[in-house]
Amino acid sequence: MLVIRPLQETDLEDLYAMAQKAGKGLTTLPADRDLLQRKIAHAQQTFNQRCAPEAGLYLFALEDTEVGKAVGISGIQARVGLDEVFYNYRLSVTVNASKELGVHVRTPTLHLSNDMTDTSEICSLLLSDDYHGGGNGLLLSRCRFMYLDEFRKHFSEKVFAEMRGVSDEQGLSPLWDALGSKFFDMEFTQADMLSGLGNKSFIAELMPKYPIYLPMLPDSARAVIGRVHGNTAPALKMLQAEGFNFNGMVDIFDGGPVVEAFVNTIRTVRDSINRHAMIAKKTINLDVPASERVMVSNRSFRNYRVTTVPASCISTDTVSLPPAVAEALQIESGDPVRLAPLKERPKAAVHALG
Amino acid sequence: MWLVRPALPSDVNQILEIAGTVDSETARLSSTLPRQREALAEKIQHSQASLAGTTSGDSQPPRMLFVLEDTATGRIHGTAGIDARAGNGQPFYNYRRDALIHASHELGISSRVDVLYPSHGLTDHTLLCSFSITPELRNTDAFELLSRARILFMAGHRDWFTHRVAVEIQGVQLADGKVPFWDSLGRHFFNMDFDTADQHSGLLSKTFIAELMPPNPVYVTLLSESAQAALGQPHELTVSNLELLQREGFQAGCYLDIFDGGPVLEARTDALHTLVISQPKTLHGAIESEVESAGENGGDLCLIAAGEGAGFRCTLAKAAGTLEGTLKVPVKVWEVLEKTAGDEVRVAPC
Repeated sequence: MLVIRPLQETDLEDLYAMAQKAGKGLTTLPADRDLLQRKIAHAQQTFNQRCAPEAGLYLFALEDTEVGKAVGISGIQARVGLDEVFYNYRLSVTVNASKELGVHVRTPTLHLSNDMTDTSEICSLLLSDDYHGGGNGLLLSRCRFMYLDEFRKHFSEKVFAEMRGVSDEQGLSPLWDALGSKFFDMEFTQADMLSGLGNKSFIAELMPKYPIYLPMLPDSARAVIGRVHGNTAPALKMLQAEGFNFNGMVDIFDGGPVVEAFVNTIRTVRDSINRHAMIAKKTINLDVPASERVMVSNRSFRNYRVTTVPASCISTDTVSLPPAVAEALQIESGDPVRLAPLKERPKAAVHALG
Repeated sequence: MWLVRPALPSDVNQILEIAGTVDSETARLSSTLPRQREALAEKIQHSQASLAGTTSGDSQPPRMLFVLEDTATGRIHGTAGIDARAGNGQPFYNYRRDALIHASHELGISSRVDVLYPSHGLTDHTLLCSFSITPELRNTDAFELLSRARILFMAGHRDWFTHRVAVEIQGVQLADGKVPFWDSLGRHFFNMDFDTADQHSGLLSKTFIAELMPPNPVYVTLLSESAQAALGQPHELTVSNLELLQREGFQAGCYLDIFDGGPVLEARTDALHTLVISQPKTLHGAIESEVESAGENGGDLCLIAAGEGAGFRCTLAKAAGTLEGTLKVPVKVWEVLEKTAGDEVRVAPC
């Protein structure tokens, strides 16, 4: 069974292996043991409420209970830009017009911005290659929305995600080559790594502060602004289905888009329902397609657990759970649980039953 | 003889010829000299009003236009102007080239970043402008006369002008007419080619610049390579002009032309070479033969200027001093200057 639970110390090696395999695309999870260890410790403190709510880093592991291994990770950062400065470019328009000459020119312009400061970010999604498909990625991503919904006062009203921008097989980014590299005498991958390692103050010190007029950049760089890397396209699609939209901000290095949504409008949040758990005596066939399954969470802040069950388990006031699922969620009969569809389709099913 | 005098409405045709057709080499070299009859006539009219002292205070500061005339033929061979206040009561636009150091202590990186800031810093400085001369006279005494006569005018009318004086030097333009700096920057915002913008600049109020110029500083490193190479570089045809101005004490500072990236030279008015070495003298009342011989026996080639306002004349002649401190010049110089024995002139060695 695949279960979402808080990331813990014992996940370090699994996490390190995943980060190593993921390569250079994942800025927030570099393959660096010390750093990963610090992140795990930070997450543990967060779940145990031993750090300030705004400093919280909520990291969840997807565990395959049969092999006792973490096979995926996803996270929420409670607030960005509070001790470090959080940078984006805002893609906006400068209009120059002269009535006298009949000239009206729109110039797309990048403005350096800290607008995402104090906003919650969903981040660090990584799924082991062997577990792709079957809705595992959806579970890993969407369990976070249920958590955001459950504990809203710990997060901002709006959440966002930074999507990986365009780079080629060698890790070269057209925007970086045309812009960043003119100001930072280093390769994109190196800058990205430094940024991921937390050496972010260098960005403030070296970045151009004045607006960048896009017509001054080569076509190759302009073309990737606000565009995602091919590998990230499915993740973007998934977030768009949840109601996330491009908010006009892009990554300062690779031009990848920032997408955002208000928590109360996220589809998973809107489609969530509460039920009481009822441990089923008869056996339930758990092996149904992702489209017929729903996420079920134990609603716990400290020991948040989510797994999936067939939508057919839901009844008017209760949801029937096999003992194994109840054990995985660490609940007993009568405990409140929260349910949300794993895929778009069961939405109708949930409501029909609810 | 060569004579520099204020432009007159009757000079319009000849000036248009110099300012000229598109093919003319001189045509590109002065954006402040209009190529349209009406605009030119207006400029001459304003110059006349300025010289007569009938322009109205701050909103219409004096702007003078002078011409270089061959007195033998009456033909005009060049023009030179002075705007008493750059911008003429409106903002005067330049880029100021400046630098920022982007340094990261943590990474041990320190790099110099060049930035072009939109600037009005030269507004109200005195501006030498509208310089044009027929190509065959370039690098001749007449060329020097035309340029330096303005400084003698300033010396004789010092309180019309401010303490700082500037000259915009035309920037790099390629043989095919392309201006690399414009193509890399201005074109994106003005949505027009360089020549069109340049003409507008000579003709229209500067409002269009305020409206269309990029409002924020521009990083030099994002300009095209050819545009970066052109920054602060003079057009090759202006080199002799540039050298002459440098001898006069002008130096390139941090200002650049907003259209072609050409250099702007600056100087302190009171330190201008011609102004410093020029002296007021009285014309010697010698009989003609004596004067003629004085001229022929050497004496030094000098710039000699006389007259106020619309009466300003400046010519080039051999002159010799006398023991009484007066100045002996050939009588034909008297005629050209419209002065006679005992009148005051201002003289500067050539």
